[in-house]
Amino acid sequence: MEDVITEIPPPSRFFQEDLNNFITPSPSLPSPFLVFSNPKPKKPLHPSLLIIALSSPSLYIFQHFSPKTLIGSLILPEVPFSGISIEPSLTDKTCNIYSLNDGDKSILLVSVQHGVSAERSHLVARLLIGEDIVPERLLILDSIQSQNFRGKLSPDETYAFKLETLAERKGLGGGNVASSLLKGLDYFPSGSMIDGLAAALLSRCQLKNIKGTLCVSWPEFGSSVAGLIRSLLQRNVLPNLDSSLKGDVQDQYPRFNLMKHQPYDTEMYT
Amino acid sequence: MEFVIEQGKQPHHECSTLLLPALSIGNVGQLAMDLLVSSMKAERIGYLDDPFVLPCVGNDAYGPIPCGDLALPLEAYQSSSSRLTLLQQRSPVVKGRMVEFANNLANFAAASGKKHVVLLSSLDFGKWQKIDMSSGLQIHYLSSVNPDGRDDHCEQLGWKRLQEYNPAQRCWKYLSTLAEGNTMLESNLPFEDELEDEDYYPSLPFAALFSCLKAKGLKVTCLLCYCSEGDNIQDAFQLAEAACRLLGINSSTFPGNGSGGWVIPFSWQTVYGPPPDMSIF
Repeated sequence: MEDVITEIPPPSRFFQEDLNNFITPSPSLPSPFLVFSNPKPKKPLHPSLLIIALSSPSLYIFQHFSPKTLIGSLILPEVPFSGISIEPSLTDKTCNIYSLNDGDKSILLVSVQHGVSAERSHLVARLLIGEDIVPERLLILDSIQSQNFRGKLSPDETYAFKLETLAERKGLGGGNVASSLLKGLDYFPSGSMIDGLAAALLSRCQLKNIKGTLCVSWPEFGSSVAGLIRSLLQRNVLPNLDSSLKGDVQDQYPRFNLMKHQPYDTEMYT
Repeated sequence: MEFVIEQGKQPHHECSTLLLPALSIGNVGQLAMDLLVSSMKAERIGYLDDPFVLPCVGNDAYGPIPCGDLALPLEAYQSSSSRLTLLQQRSPVVKGRMVEFANNLANFAAASGKKHVVLLSSLDFGKWQKIDMSSGLQIHYLSSVNPDGRDDHCEQLGWKRLQEYNPAQRCWKYLSTLAEGNTMLESNLPFEDELEDEDYYPSLPFAALFSCLKAKGLKVTCLLCYCSEGDNIQDAFQLAEAACRLLGINSSTFPGNGSGGWVIPFSWQTVYGPPPDMSIF
């Protein structure tokens, strides 16, 4: 049995392999790529806003958003296609790209419904930002990672914080200086970090001088945090959100939560 | 590896000494860099984008009050008064890609005209074979000035050369070969399954950086301290003070309220997690 005290390093400490020059690297994987539906859009795409949904509440909200048009998908070769349904479904391990209709703004949505490893995040971020898709502004919706958070996270309370690129904070590239996308939201506390795909995406925006905002929420699941995200989006990003959501979104969320996070491996049953 | 200059900033070419951490036990090199950037009030001038560094983001680490300034995994700072460029690395390297990362960093250092590179790192106290406590817990060093790693200036400062450095030892030789580009990086260490105690030092990230920087013809000085995993703040102070001594920087002129004038980074308030929940008492 593993020694729980000493075997697994606490957050911010290194695994043995992190400090070993001679460890064998993981086998290299084929590069991820984007596919677009017919007719193929003229590339690069220049949406006024690119929304990337990573967190469970945001994926759920956007699944019920209508109308939206499936225009493409990001393919990670290591993610199996087995079990994917013909019509997009929340339980599919897909990374679909949608065009949202919201007034005269061109908005693209990427629903990331499968994990992307930290090692692949740099490549995926490059694919989504700055090559075939060059957004004016980016919004990433993710959850706070409790293992990287240095403050207290109560399971009974709901939080949301943001991080912004310099371009977003200073209102660079024209527009109102005070036009930060998520006004009134506190900044993520100093001393805590966010890693993975969300971090890779925001970093890419910073390096490319693109307005970018990362919103992280807590807890990871639950109706209250879904309500918080919905309210943030309605107030700051998609004023017509409530009228665009199909069905009784709030009441069905607990059932989605249960389906998405069941303890057994659904891969065995495809 | 791409160097992206921050908007409105300008690297100064007279900052030809580069100071950077090597990932190590207790994160001591990185903590020491935090202390140096914070205390020198070094100005961030840009970022390094490398596919072999895992992504991370956070709020400004230094303060005095974080105002949402984004922190990225690999950042370059500058202190014109000390003629110093400082790099901070906040996240690990992709498994098995340390030598490639070191090569990329060495290429950056050479291309940007750096003359002297100082690496800050720590060593596992549990691996210390030839323990000599006669002068207390002191700084060890490794230099590219002489083939045996010796540097007269470091000796005059009272530091001990890393005795375990042996350029003829198989792993050190293998690193040199890789750094000089004489072997395909994809090929595994020929004796990977038989690593022994003497292979510990060359297996560490500082060794990869040392070998790659040296291969580019740069002067490299590694400053090392032995420590155990735990509260490594004092180890960070020791290493940062050593760096100042090596570079002739008078740390007592730092503007901080802390002892010796050091400015404690704002992010250190929670470096070891939140305070305990007192409501249980």
